[in-house]
Amino acid sequence: MSSVKESAENNHPTPAPTVDLDEIQATVLRPRPAPYFGTHVILRVNDAQAGREFLRRLTPHIDSAAAWWSAVTPWLAVGISYAGLEALGVPQESLQSFPVAFREGMAARARQLGDVGVNDPKNWDQPYGKSDVHIGVSAFSDSEEDRRRILGIAREQIEGFSGVSVLAMQDFGAQPGDLNSLGYKDGIDQPAFEGSGVDPLPGQGRPIKAGEFILGYPGESGVQLPMPQPGILGRNGTFVGLRKYQSRVGAFNRFLRANGSTEEERELLAAKLVGRWRSGAPLTLAPEVDNPAVGADPQRNNDFDYANDARGRQVPFGCHIRRMNPRDTKLTRLTDVNIHRIIRRGTTYGPPYDPSALSEADDEVPRGAIFLFISARAMATIEFLQQEWINDGNFIGAGNERDPIVGLQEEGATFIIPKEPVRRRIHNIETFNVLRGGEYFFMPSLSALKWLADLHD
Amino acid sequence: MATQTQTATEPKSDEVVEQKIQKLKELYADAPEVGKAALENGLANIRQELAAISATAGRQTAGRVGARQGKVSELTAILKITKDGAKRLRGLLEILEGNFKGADVVGTLHDMRFVFLDNDTRLLFATAYDGEWDAYIDDFVTKIPTSMDMVFCNLEGWPGIHDANIKDWLVEHQITADAWYVANPNLTVAETRRLERVDKALGEFLDKIA
Repeated sequence: MSSVKESAENNHPTPAPTVDLDEIQATVLRPRPAPYFGTHVILRVNDAQAGREFLRRLTPHIDSAAAWWSAVTPWLAVGISYAGLEALGVPQESLQSFPVAFREGMAARARQLGDVGVNDPKNWDQPYGKSDVHIGVSAFSDSEEDRRRILGIAREQIEGFSGVSVLAMQDFGAQPGDLNSLGYKDGIDQPAFEGSGVDPLPGQGRPIKAGEFILGYPGESGVQLPMPQPGILGRNGTFVGLRKYQSRVGAFNRFLRANGSTEEERELLAAKLVGRWRSGAPLTLAPEVDNPAVGADPQRNNDFDYANDARGRQVPFGCHIRRMNPRDTKLTRLTDVNIHRIIRRGTTYGPPYDPSALSEADDEVPRGAIFLFISARAMATIEFLQQEWINDGNFIGAGNERDPIVGLQEEGATFIIPKEPVRRRIHNIETFNVLRGGEYFFMPSLSALKWLADLHD
Repeated sequence: MATQTQTATEPKSDEVVEQKIQKLKELYADAPEVGKAALENGLANIRQELAAISATAGRQTAGRVGARQGKVSELTAILKITKDGAKRLRGLLEILEGNFKGADVVGTLHDMRFVFLDNDTRLLFATAYDGEWDAYIDDFVTKIPTSMDMVFCNLEGWPGIHDANIKDWLVEHQITADAWYVANPNLTVAETRRLERVDKALGEFLDKIA
């Protein structure tokens, strides 16, 4: 598939890529298009040989990350669960070389992930958490027309044989202004990694060692992470944690109304929960009022640290973005922020955010986001984030407080907004995003896909 | 969570308490005289204690191995010391004079003890810490690899902090405590430090307005 635009000389990035971009799947590096349109397809492999034949047909249509900085959409991505690797007939010794959490699957790791109560796997949507989720195929595009076209290509590879069946299809994107289901611009802050061929954006931080995101390269500790075997299968692959959230828009709006008496107060509160205004402008750069021009500018909307905000007066310690990337915040525990970052591809589904939705019925409208979290240690990172940075406050000295956006709130939970002369503590924050599904996938390199397709019984 | 463990003091039924008393009597039937007498004389107190055990209390786990009470976990390990390892390790601990600045930085260690056993051939290492350790092992690998290797290289089989199987090595040597008491199961090291600061500030504030 020719998806690489011939780039002009002056477009060429300064640092030469040192990772095998033509082996790595495009989704690892290509940012979500703007605007974006796409579909996630979940497949079951009924028969190993048919599954391998499907992979053989699909692989030529899976894009690599080659020249990702100038690539044009659309593209397809593919991930395979542990049950999927088994269903494809991957040899036992190879299966055993995958990390334990991946082999067990996300639903079985509910205790480590804190996926309990309303987030318990027993409450998940079909087909998530079941052992017949085998392959995930995602189509990304910047137009509805191209979405249909690329999805059609994926479908052609399944047609005509019954060995692979479609369990679920979920369209995403097509949101006005690309806002998420709580009404924010999202996906702004992503980790940069070494050898990807592009300089980091302002505020993105130093590039992290490639091995943290792609298997087969040294990580932050200087050594490679354990890699699935044989090498051809593991190298240039990575892991993806898929988490499907449903946004309780009514509860979110009711919370804003209960704690803000004017539109200005409510929007400031909404910004304090996230650390950014809905426009994407960070509170650090726009502390009092929104600055949509900053929010829209990738050179500026992430260019900040917390050096002048050690007490959280601008950006509360407990807000979503300061938890997910504490940057230079002084943490209570010895922490290497660079090994807990994760690439995320957020894909919003369902009707757009409705600021006037206030009823409990509005909470049940199927809308939210399916996140793809990508990292060579995705399972460990997601468990860490869930345990430490999302569903706890100890690391920032905030006791039992949890992430106001993706945390699982207990009854009577609070959210503290530091301010002069005394902090404001808001009571009864609820769970605004409920987990409705989750899976771990291995995202193989293009050579690994061919290796899988060529397996014999 | 905190309120749950503190308010859920619904006593168990008398029947359960009597069963436990019966079990104790069986256990102590062949105890030395002083033990038998102690059980007999202490029965009233023991009965009260057993009746007060929270219905919701139970053993928690700190991950793959180890016990946990509220937010605090325990790690106990008995490790074989290498040849000359005891000399080095004892020397290292002496030079540090009990100043574990590194442990301060970790921010989750309530205490640590190093006890040399069996003529310096084995080491008892015991610590109480916050949360689950394996979430943070990777941070130790990138942040304090030298401290870890300097201490643990004196123990047999230490694969080195950068070894991919480091978590398995630690788990293999860990012995879960059968019983463990924590006075403040909901106070992490960070929370304790915060409360100390708050208390100091409150004292100063009260001094000013007095």
